[in-house]
Amino acid sequence: MTRHEDPSATVAPTDVRHELDGEALLPQLVAHLREHRTRLRQEWVGRIQEAHLLQAMTAQEMSAETTLVYDNYVEVLETGSVEALQHYARDLSERIIPRGVETHEVVGIVLLLRDVLARSLFEKYQRDFALLNRVLDAYEPAANRIANTVAVSFVEERERVIRQQQDSIRELSTPVLPVRERLLILPIIGVLDRERARQLTVQLLGGIRTHRAKVVVVDITGVPDVDESVANHLVRTVDASRLMGASVIITGLSPEIAQTLVTIGVDLSKMNTIGDLQGGLEEAERLLGYAVSRDDGNGGP
Amino acid sequence: MNGGPRLFSILRQGPYLIASIHTALDDSQLVRFQQDLVERIGSDRARGVVIDVAALDVLDSFASRTLRDIGEMARLRGAVTVIVGIQPDVAFAMVELGMDTGRVVTALDLEEGLAELDSCLAAPPAPRT
Amino acid sequence: MAAVEPVGSPGGDCGSADVAALIPLVRRIVASRVPDPATADDLVQETLTRVLAAAGRVEPGMLEPYAIVTARNVVTSMWRDQDRQRRHQHRVVDLRPPEAPDEDVLAREDRAAVAEALTRLSDRERATLLAHEVSGQDTRSLAAELGSTAGAVAAQLNRTRARLRVEYLLVSERVEPPTERCRPVLLAISSGDRRRQREVDAARHLLECGLCARLSEPLVGRGRSRDDAVRVAVRTDADVVAARQAAREVATRLGFSTTDVTLIATAVSEITRNIVRFADSGEVVVTELQEPRRGISIVARDAGPGIPDVDQALQDGYSTYHGLGLGLPGARRLMDEFAVVSETGRGTTVTMTKWRGEG
Repeated sequence: MTRHEDPSATVAPTDVRHELDGEALLPQLVAHLREHRTRLRQEWVGRIQEAHLLQAMTAQEMSAETTLVYDNYVEVLETGSVEALQHYARDLSERIIPRGVETHEVVGIVLLLRDVLARSLFEKYQRDFALLNRVLDAYEPAANRIANTVAVSFVEERERVIRQQQDSIRELSTPVLPVRERLLILPIIGVLDRERARQLTVQLLGGIRTHRAKVVVVDITGVPDVDESVANHLVRTVDASRLMGASVIITGLSPEIAQTLVTIGVDLSKMNTIGDLQGGLEEAERLLGYAVSRDDGNGGP
Repeated sequence: MNGGPRLFSILRQGPYLIASIHTALDDSQLVRFQQDLVERIGSDRARGVVIDVAALDVLDSFASRTLRDIGEMARLRGAVTVIVGIQPDVAFAMVELGMDTGRVVTALDLEEGLAELDSCLAAPPAPRT
Repeated sequence: MAAVEPVGSPGGDCGSADVAALIPLVRRIVASRVPDPATADDLVQETLTRVLAAAGRVEPGMLEPYAIVTARNVVTSMWRDQDRQRRHQHRVVDLRPPEAPDEDVLAREDRAAVAEALTRLSDRERATLLAHEVSGQDTRSLAAELGSTAGAVAAQLNRTRARLRVEYLLVSERVEPPTERCRPVLLAISSGDRRRQREVDAARHLLECGLCARLSEPLVGRGRSRDDAVRVAVRTDADVVAARQAAREVATRLGFSTTDVTLIATAVSEITRNIVRFADSGEVVVTELQEPRRGISIVARDAGPGIPDVDQALQDGYSTYHGLGLGLPGARRLMDEFAVVSETGRGTTVTMTKWRGEG
């Protein structure tokens, strides 16, 4: 979504072209860059290597990518269509992000290409200073916009990948967070079915041992549809934690739902439920403050 | 039954007994453990018992019940029992199986168990809230 | 292998009563060759049907020999039947001498081939196999003697049986493998070890080597089920621990998570205890499953008094503290599949399975 709000995306294709003056400099310039494609591309690759960029890529990948980037770059100069470049930039990002290419590398190589091409234009037009100035005046804003587009697309794509990864990580495992000594928080977000409940419980039990937790706050604010089966999963989680010597406080269970659960016969007596996470943490502190106080029911007959 | 390596040990520490199970016990060995421990609680007039089950890779219904029974018998003899060292996988399997340790207190490990005993015996149990 | 079809006088008065009298004989012949009772029953049925159909054509005194030949033919045709390849095992593993006095050359050849194949095993392999198959010594006590584990002994037995099958085929075909690669390939197929088959590139070899292609046919699909089994005889409390340790070992080898391994061991503990408590003795068989995916199967059987009301014993809420106290509902929750078959006065068989999670 944010992709479309990006200012560079709203720029009409003609704007790039508009930067070049009307003297048909553009076709000249493009023709020059096409003619010297091989040499310029190799020079660019040399600069990339000097700068130690894209080291995660093999020589073949580098060759393929730089050719593609080069051609796209020239095409954008020619047509003024940023969309094509944006599309390419996203596509490129998708392919290279998983290989660990960083934002600065992508921006770096595009800036290098801009400079390599600028230099070549300089060489070509240096004898006619006035013309050179006009060429550069036309070239530079367009080139900068291209660099900008690539960078923005890359960052967006990267964010999307990260979000996706975060989602799947959340799907896979809910983090057991050590809040302070002896206190863990387990925020459960999403559907809690039998398999996930098992997984969470196993994870929590491991966490209890690792962190030597005495109290665990399980926050179920993010669990939709807390019903009988979810409650029963939670009861088992509470029981298992207790076997390892940890008390469990359940937070985020609304009074209405709690009432409903009790009505349909779920035994919540073993569960220490507190309305919200804040209250749960306070209760946890209280339990830990008494350090040695036990939850009730363990005492005398 | 007395031949071979000791499968469990019962040591005295102040007013407490520390009972450690060293290896997987079969049912009759568990019964033997129960008898020995309950006897020691009486003879030593122990006020607290820590049972360390960290070496057990399975706590099935019989073992769970035995631990519960020990806790009840100890209580009748005036001692508090704390079970320590239940492994995460074992705790999980116990719950799936539908077993627990009843009213017997559990703690993470020996150190926690002793601290638990200290606090149990220092203050009367907190009233139910 | 066309059987002699004795043609008797038509219109003989051989009725179904005479055929019924042959049932014990047919059963014995079939049972001596087919260990699996269900398959044996099928074959007995088939034999009797054929005999009955031909009864009118068979001379009165010839009915018995006719039944014997038919029974053998039925068994032999089953051997050729691709669909039933799996039940083929007894040809090699059934070391009991044939009981029927009429067992002919085929049986003698069979025995000679098995004996010859046995000599091709190492002393240790042979001794272990014979102790297990003939003397009925279980894997656990073998392991104790060999200073090994039940799981390792079972694995070794599997390899030995696989070798024996290969050597048996070579002996009975009176051939020596033409290439160096033949034996390893046949062995990998015989043991049903897919990884090994890939390692030796078995599929390709079978394309190139006519002999192996032919010999591999009866070997395919073997080395499964009962071959991968660890057996623990159950009599005393200590056997409960042994059974769950055997299950633990197999489950670990199969790559179950430590959590699942503990669940499996706990379930085994529960059902094995019932044998010790309610029956004099029984056994627990732990089997690796490869199909339809990797898993573990545990069968606990006894010849005890049986469970009068299985449904009730399985009912959730029949907690282990109260009620029947068989721990069956609990064990069922720990496993993926769970079945109890029990007959009052005859015994109980609990079969339970856990599949390995994906990944």
